[in-house]
Amino acid sequence: MLRVQIASTMAMTETTCKDPVIHNHWHAIAAIEDTGSHVHHTRLLGEDLTYQASTARDTSDSTGDHEFAVSRTAAPDKLLPVHCAYGYIWTCLGTPAQPLFTLPEYAESDRNNVCACSVGVRVSAPRAVENFLDMGHFPYVHTGILGEQPHTEVREYDVEITEDSNEVIATRCRFYQPQAAAGANEGMLVEYVYRVPHPYCSILYKSCPDDESRMDVIALFVQPVDEINIRAHALVSVIDATSAPLAIRMFQQTIFGQDKPILENQLPKKLPLDPRAETPIRADKSAVFYRRWLSRQGISYGVIPAAA
Amino acid sequence: MITLYDYELSGNCYKIRLLLSMLEIEYSKHTVEFYPAADHKSEWFKAINPLGTLPVLVDRSHEPQNAGQRRPLQQKTEKPHNEQTADLNPIDGLTLKDSAAILVYLATRYDKTASWYPSSDPAKIAQITEWLAFADGITASASQARLAEGFFYNVDADACRARAHQLFRILDEHLWFAEHRKQRWLVAGDLPTIADLACFPYIILSEEGSISRQDYPAIRRWTDRVKRIPGFIVMPGVFPIGPELSS
Amino acid sequence: MDTKPDSSSDNNHYWHPIASSTDLTPRHVFHGQLLGRELAVWRADDGNVNVWENRCLHRGVRLSIGVNDGRELVCQYHGWRYANRTAGCTYIPAHPADSPARTICNNRYPVTEQYGLIWSAESALPATHNSASVPDIDPGFLNGSITAPVADGDLNTATIRALNTEREIDAGRLLVLRPIPVNATIDIVSTVLQSYGYIHPLSNTPVHCAVEARDTYRHTTQVTPLTANDCIASNANPPAELIQLHFIIQPVDSARSVIRGFMSGSSTIEHPTTWLQLHNAALSQLRIVAEQQMQAIIPPAAWEVSITPVSESLAKMPGISNAAATTQRVVVRAITDTAKDIKSVEMAAITGDLATWQPGSHIDVLLANGLTRQYSLTNGPGQTDHYNIGVKLEAESSGGSSFIHHSLKPGDVLTVSPPRNNFSLRRDAVKTLLIAGGIGITPLLSMAKALFHSDLPFELHYFVADNSHVAFKSCLDEFGKAANIVTGLDPTETNSRLQQLLAHYENAHHVYLCGPGPMLDSAKAIAEAHSWPDESVHFEYFKNATEVSQDKPFSVALARTGITLQVPAGETLLSVLRNNAVALPSSCEQGACGTCIVDVIDGTPLHQDVYLSNAEKKRGNCMMTCVSRALSDSLTLDI
Repeated sequence: MLRVQIASTMAMTETTCKDPVIHNHWHAIAAIEDTGSHVHHTRLLGEDLTYQASTARDTSDSTGDHEFAVSRTAAPDKLLPVHCAYGYIWTCLGTPAQPLFTLPEYAESDRNNVCACSVGVRVSAPRAVENFLDMGHFPYVHTGILGEQPHTEVREYDVEITEDSNEVIATRCRFYQPQAAAGANEGMLVEYVYRVPHPYCSILYKSCPDDESRMDVIALFVQPVDEINIRAHALVSVIDATSAPLAIRMFQQTIFGQDKPILENQLPKKLPLDPRAETPIRADKSAVFYRRWLSRQGISYGVIPAAA
Repeated sequence: MITLYDYELSGNCYKIRLLLSMLEIEYSKHTVEFYPAADHKSEWFKAINPLGTLPVLVDRSHEPQNAGQRRPLQQKTEKPHNEQTADLNPIDGLTLKDSAAILVYLATRYDKTASWYPSSDPAKIAQITEWLAFADGITASASQARLAEGFFYNVDADACRARAHQLFRILDEHLWFAEHRKQRWLVAGDLPTIADLACFPYIILSEEGSISRQDYPAIRRWTDRVKRIPGFIVMPGVFPIGPELSS
Repeated sequence: MDTKPDSSSDNNHYWHPIASSTDLTPRHVFHGQLLGRELAVWRADDGNVNVWENRCLHRGVRLSIGVNDGRELVCQYHGWRYANRTAGCTYIPAHPADSPARTICNNRYPVTEQYGLIWSAESALPATHNSASVPDIDPGFLNGSITAPVADGDLNTATIRALNTEREIDAGRLLVLRPIPVNATIDIVSTVLQSYGYIHPLSNTPVHCAVEARDTYRHTTQVTPLTANDCIASNANPPAELIQLHFIIQPVDSARSVIRGFMSGSSTIEHPTTWLQLHNAALSQLRIVAEQQMQAIIPPAAWEVSITPVSESLAKMPGISNAAATTQRVVVRAITDTAKDIKSVEMAAITGDLATWQPGSHIDVLLANGLTRQYSLTNGPGQTDHYNIGVKLEAESSGGSSFIHHSLKPGDVLTVSPPRNNFSLRRDAVKTLLIAGGIGITPLLSMAKALFHSDLPFELHYFVADNSHVAFKSCLDEFGKAANIVTGLDPTETNSRLQQLLAHYENAHHVYLCGPGPMLDSAKAIAEAHSWPDESVHFEYFKNATEVSQDKPFSVALARTGITLQVPAGETLLSVLRNNAVALPSSCEQGACGTCIVDVIDGTPLHQDVYLSNAEKKRGNCMMTCVSRALSDSLTLDI
């Protein structure tokens, strides 16, 4: 009771985002398919927003798409930039400094694109991204689904920061997955590629059981509600004609539901960028690169910056 | 055959999955997407349960030999009307729409040991009923706070948390004095009852509604004990536990 | 007390209660907090209480949600295992072939168990702590009613008091109250506590207590036995027998406290349950008052808690290292005959804790006669209060085993190295086969204990001459059918048994071999013949029987140090490196233990060790500096 009061007092004193990189980035706020023409409410970077599917003429400004109207609740007349992409509505509280990253697979005609879920988690956005990059927890947190004991080894993989697009990319990631393909009795090594094209977004490519030449895509778009609260949005884009969207959504909700209590039990909630705050091992190579990459961009929102 | 209309992330559905697992009853799951689709409010589901709530259990095994336990014959002949007059739905089976009712039904019908719901012991079933009501209070507070945090339900989460803390203080005190009397479960006795299963899910999930259990050490120990009941299963948000110390 | 108590003052060392003893049930992890810092508190099966910071060092996940398996605490996120007592990490499942660096160690806090309560203090323990260096609880806390005066600095003070406490509780002379968490500052709680009173259950009248505050945290009063209800209203005829009632306020955080308390009498306290209920009701009422008073003030900000940085070496990837550390002095606690010519030696730390080890680890033992010998630890998981080794009396002993067998006695002090592990146990095997010959049982015993405790599938086959040579028999019996003792086979029969055991390789099966050289040689050859992949065959030789040649001189370039050295004939690479101040850990110095391994960047090594597998030798990208040399004229090493 008392703690609740303290918590809300602290929430009120939470200042809005002073991190220019994050302030001027696009952030996903809702699935397009969940957004109707009535007024919806959400929060982004500590500010209350309202949004709705707009009637034909509501949005006459020149930024972004014209299907949705997003504004600060405190300034309903001043529309914020809107961009519709990958099944989600994206907005920016400042001035978009760069276009949203590309995800060309989304447009492939034979893909089943599903907005799988949006879940609230009490953690910082970078902690959620780092968890998404992590394979070592599969046998413990996603037991029987993405991993299974005793198959716990994280094999060597490669990580780089691409010069052209400034993304963290982890390749040659392999991890044992029980029943990786439908009807399979034995587990197998599944290959993954991870991209981090945005401080708060990550995309996972996973070898497709039906077609060796293609990869299924699972994308995590984190909406930073404030520094230590997020909404985790998932896009699943699979080459799978048989799985119903319901099954895909339930699968993803289970995975996020399993990650949630881990993330909510991480201390501190903000991601510490000081290399000596936590203990990385070789399996955490992608996380080490991600932390360095955040440091290099001078990100301060949702992280504890390393002491200079 | 038993069908459970189920949502994986629902604590109320988890109560039923727990008992089904602990009683080793086979069943099939019919997934109802509670969030974000709100399929439990859809027309097709309301035809099954007009209240639009989860879980729903349909038991089509009318013949006792299909059941895990054969009912005493005389009981069947004595009370044929109960089954006739029970809530039969169009798909020809017993349809139950409330987690407490389902727990009572499953335990009474399928528990060979008659320990989960000792229907011949008036004091115990009365105490169990008290705790089933208490569990509803936890659902109305802790579960609502969880829905607010995780699924953005528009409820007064702070009020829900305050109410949940009141209930947890009462429960912790009850359990502390139970331990003092060498008792392990909510209702005194050697074995757990459906009272424990009815209260467990939204307590163990309370932290998803920002309700810490740090101040309730007796509750934390009791959740360990529930996790060590044979047949215990986890759900997303619930961590597994290691083996008990064998004496 | 809005501001955190000054940690530079003595408060830093002030003992605070953080839990009741009864809170720490077996295989449970208690979620505690002191002065803002969250704690994971757990009792191991051996009774030891661990008070650790509530953060896994890896990714900061609370350890209070982890699994207490009785020996180790397992993190829920990645399955990292931390040992009872030392808090050292013993296993990192993501890298099953590696041994975690010894320095991966959770922050521990001091602990003592007295008056039915678990006490801790704010200052974290150094890696090796001396329990005498943390101040004791004021011996006069109970006005001498429980504890006899004990000399300060006596190592057993805490133990004696704990024993006394147990005796008092058993006799019903000490009754620990149900703790009451209060959402209020310590000052408010302290103030309201001073008007403590309860309703007498017999007379149904209020009883007011004269509470004396010894300081903000500690409050004392006296109550009369419940049977003497006539005397309650007035103090006209106070009964001869008074019961002491103590309250201690635990500072959880700036606005959160726990009232803990206990009653102590000189004779059995009657009606204990009634007393507990009565105080519970009274303190719950008091909580309402305290929390109402909190409503009137602006709640203070939560106390800041600093995060202790991990050591610099751990912050760098890969963070797995086996760097040398200082030796430690241990005292021999027991020597027992465990089989014909085999003694089991148990050693305990003189001060502080022993360094963390994993199954397969060995220590160097520096004997009083000047010799150094390597012995594998036979300890099971969580057995962290001692090292146990098995020593066979060798016929041609040059003094090592002979000294231990004939001269060493309990109470003697030895110097040992920290444990090193070059024979790591993977725990990701679908099945593990352990094959021991004679005294080679020692490292495999430790492995078997770990696998058995975690319920992982394994078989232990122990080859001995006859039953009188079976060491550690009682441990083996615990494994049931998993342990198989094979007696009396000659070399040919041994080979055919090994043929049977190793006939079928299956994916993710692993075999660990330790025993006499010839047995290992043939077991390795058989495994190879049956298509066991190199990485599934693990072995440890007792000694290197290879004829080591030191004839050929060569030059060595150190890539990272940037120098080139000459290794003359007759001198080892290791000693040349040492003479040039290149520090390299070593242990057996005869090519058996693997400690002095270095990576080779260029050149072809002349392998003369028995540590590396044939495939590793063929790859030529690492070597043992103690015995191996160069086939090429020069080598480039990654040091």
